[in-house]
Amino acid sequence: MSLKTTAASILSLTLLAAIANPSARAADDSSQLRFHGGAVEPTSLMLPANTPVKLRVTNSADAAIEFESFELHRERVVQPGQTITVYLPALPRGTYPFFDDFSHGAVKGEIVSR
Amino acid sequence: MILWSAAIAILVAQFVRVDRSNPAVPGDLSAPPVVKDALERACYDCHSNQTRWPWYSAVAPLSWGIHYEVDEGRRRLNFSSWTDYTSDRGTEDQKLDEVASLIASEAMPPWYYRAMHPGARLTAAERATITRWVADGKSSNASRAGGVSERGAR
Repeated sequence: MSLKTTAASILSLTLLAAIANPSARAADDSSQLRFHGGAVEPTSLMLPANTPVKLRVTNSADAAIEFESFELHRERVVQPGQTITVYLPALPRGTYPFFDDFSHGAVKGEIVSR
Repeated sequence: MILWSAAIAILVAQFVRVDRSNPAVPGDLSAPPVVKDALERACYDCHSNQTRWPWYSAVAPLSWGIHYEVDEGRRRLNFSSWTDYTSDRGTEDQKLDEVASLIASEAMPPWYYRAMHPGARLTAAERATITRWVADGKSSNASRAGGVSERGAR
């Protein structure tokens, strides 16, 4: 087998493993929320169902925010300029609302597990 | 006339029933007996699935207010589902911080609840014990790696 063929095989297998392994998907940059200027991005975050996720929450605003979700049973204060990791368990398919409690619910979004 | 109207309104209000059920307890908080006893007396009616529903909780419109308090209390903090918090240590720490802070400042349990449930009042010693237990637990957890709490629950 030539060197080029070997390299192509290794690359293909690596790509297949990344696609097939949901943890790999969960660990990439799509598992993050950013609060800023009275808003959150994205307002609807898609996560793989039935897979534990490390969710990164960044506060780019000037004041503290409180990431909270009754459905996810999560509540964390994030100081200005801080990024925290929120551990989410394997979630069944569904929609899980979250909000910034310090904004009295004005800033909100949802996590969609599917 | 006004009294009659009020009486009829209260009578009609009794037909608007609220849910007074207690769901299962999937993972109750684990704590030393002295702490657990204090929390159960002062907090569990609104913040657990082990609510004691007195007879007047079935009488409208009081029943509506009580149901709202219990429903909201369980949503914000539920000791019966403590294992839901422990899978993220940051959340567990924050919940405990709030418990300690609100109890220490006597914001919780609320004055109107204490008025109707004298047994729910916490002494200064009990408040100090709870605060100390929270602080001890956090420093113990901080020495462990990872994001999952080792505090655990029963």
